[in-house]
Amino acid sequence: MLLNIVHGTESGGFIVIEDTVKYSGREILKCFINAALKRGEDVHVMGFETSEAELRAGLDSSCVQKIHFHKGHPDPLGWTCKSSFTVQQFTTRDITRLVQNTPYNKASVLIVDSLSFVLRHHQPVVICQRLQELKKVGVVKTIVGLLHSDLHLQGVVESVCHLANAVISVAPANNEHCGVAKTTRRTKSGKLMQEEEYFDMSEDAALSVQTRPHQPGHVQTEPDKPKADPTSNLTFNLRLSKKEKEAKEKVALPFVFSQEKKSALLRPTPGSGRITYEPDANDDFDEEDPDDDLDV
Amino acid sequence: MAAPGKGMAGPAGVNTTSFQKKSRSKLVSIPGTRPSVQNGQLIVSTGVTSLDYVIGGGLAVGTLLLVEEDRYDSYSHMLLKYFLAEGVVCGHEVFLASARDHPDEIMQELPSPIVDDVGSVKTKEGQAQPCDQENQDTMTIAWRYQNQPRVQNALASSVRFGHYYDVSKTMEPEVRQAVKCHSFYALQESPTTTESSLLSSPYHALLQSIRSVIRKEGFDGSTPQSKVRNVLRLGLHSLGSPLWGDDLCCTDNPAHCHSLTTFLYALRGLLRTSLSVAVVTVPSHLMQNKSVMGQIIRLSDTAIALESFRGSEKETNPLYKDYHGLLHVRQVPRLNCLVCEVPDTKDLAFKLKRKQFTIERLHLPPDLSETVSRVSKIELAGGCGTTATGNKHLDF
Repeated sequence: MLLNIVHGTESGGFIVIEDTVKYSGREILKCFINAALKRGEDVHVMGFETSEAELRAGLDSSCVQKIHFHKGHPDPLGWTCKSSFTVQQFTTRDITRLVQNTPYNKASVLIVDSLSFVLRHHQPVVICQRLQELKKVGVVKTIVGLLHSDLHLQGVVESVCHLANAVISVAPANNEHCGVAKTTRRTKSGKLMQEEEYFDMSEDAALSVQTRPHQPGHVQTEPDKPKADPTSNLTFNLRLSKKEKEAKEKVALPFVFSQEKKSALLRPTPGSGRITYEPDANDDFDEEDPDDDLDV
Repeated sequence: MAAPGKGMAGPAGVNTTSFQKKSRSKLVSIPGTRPSVQNGQLIVSTGVTSLDYVIGGGLAVGTLLLVEEDRYDSYSHMLLKYFLAEGVVCGHEVFLASARDHPDEIMQELPSPIVDDVGSVKTKEGQAQPCDQENQDTMTIAWRYQNQPRVQNALASSVRFGHYYDVSKTMEPEVRQAVKCHSFYALQESPTTTESSLLSSPYHALLQSIRSVIRKEGFDGSTPQSKVRNVLRLGLHSLGSPLWGDDLCCTDNPAHCHSLTTFLYALRGLLRTSLSVAVVTVPSHLMQNKSVMGQIIRLSDTAIALESFRGSEKETNPLYKDYHGLLHVRQVPRLNCLVCEVPDTKDLAFKLKRKQFTIERLHLPPDLSETVSRVSKIELAGGCGTTATGNKHLDF
């Protein structure tokens, strides 16, 4: 599923790459850029954390010129007024204007490196609303953001991931050089798909995915023990031979009535709780009410 | 003695009474509603008959149902759509407010009602089956019990109230447009400076919008009696999420921590004074401050929580393999009476099938296998200083 999302076979939306200090998700971000370039889409990259050179390294050199890089990196807050795009400009209006300024006639992809930086300089609620607006306005088909989950409160991370159509969490694999990616994807109809895959990156930003079976270190489900037969090893016989079974079937049961009497008894009677009592010889059934002579 | 007493529900909890209250009262008769058997309140169906049974027959008009969303908001979204679809089918007016998807998109995804009676086939399972040759061969010894109703796992009352929907098809646009629908989309509202500092901007605008709809359409009785009375169904999606401008989900100490609670308080006041019902879904799994959830539950009338197995470790648990999630009933209201109607079991699980959203009693058998861990008394007596792998026996 990771490859499907990266290569964009499913329609865009908002994709979050969640990483930690143990394993960086920037490689997957590069894969997204690469795949989008190969599809011929317009790529807008907002770099706040890394320099342009670092992000361009390793990408396919033929299409690397087509990236629109909005340089925030050396000066993302605009202190020295040297950057073309500051973090304060992360608003719906500014981004829409930016995307529409560049001549485009195809679907565009917006790559945010990183969303954590933006979240630290704006209120999370405002960013969530802006991301939702960007999704709805439709100028940008796909938004991919890199989120460092250990930099924020758990609530912020969960709120942003709740908005996303797909969340890819990367972590280092136990004993290997590759990483493990846990992908959660939610379709428009509300269906949810989850998968855990091992992935590996090559020099030219190509992603290869292997699905490995469970590591032997994990707890495995125990195979069912064959259930012990309780009728063996007893001093008495609990089994029936064939003849004994036939004889058992032939025993006349009490209360086995003929078909008519059965159906007569089974017919639903109007009152299911009818008591019929016949007084026998010892009963003294007096019709008078003993309380009649009370003077109350 | 003039009037016979009301039929009490049997000890099994299934509502087997066929008692019909003879009402010469001036209770308004509105299509799609009926008086409740328990306390005479006017109730509407939530769209899911099993849910109606669990909350005591249906939703009383003038109350608020709170649904705590499951982790990925799939089943709570479905419940909201069932509620709105029921409103369309019964001819009630519908008000939908949402911040994530546009209300028109949600209205286009409503499930289509099933015209032929799927439900009646199910309720007849419990009643007496006609005696015929095949049935009598099923039991040889206990044949007298053949016609007794089998114990039902699925919760359903004997009286059919509510409709069934086919999830795979969407409702026809003609059916949908026969009903008046008001909508409120939070992202389109421009933030205005509000006079009250208690309510943040989207909630204030939403409250104003609801108030104006109620007043204009006359649900609070302000228009003269000549107009036919109707019920307004309000569906509010995902209140409290960051898209509503509320930072309850982001931090432990939100700036406007009382915004949502004030809104719910005002909303319930509006509901009580008009012929309307509201269903509110809240993403409780995102809320960082757990005490806020308690306040929100207290401020609503009926509260249920959905817990879906998708994505959690319970998915592989063989006990839960037939179901999609658990349903927890957090609160049931006591409306004008001393005792509320509580379902007899709190172990409820739900399953979304194509034609029905069933809620069933989850029967968990006792775990008698040999590998189950039983805490032995020797380990417990080790004292607070011992670790699990350390010495269990103290030597002096």
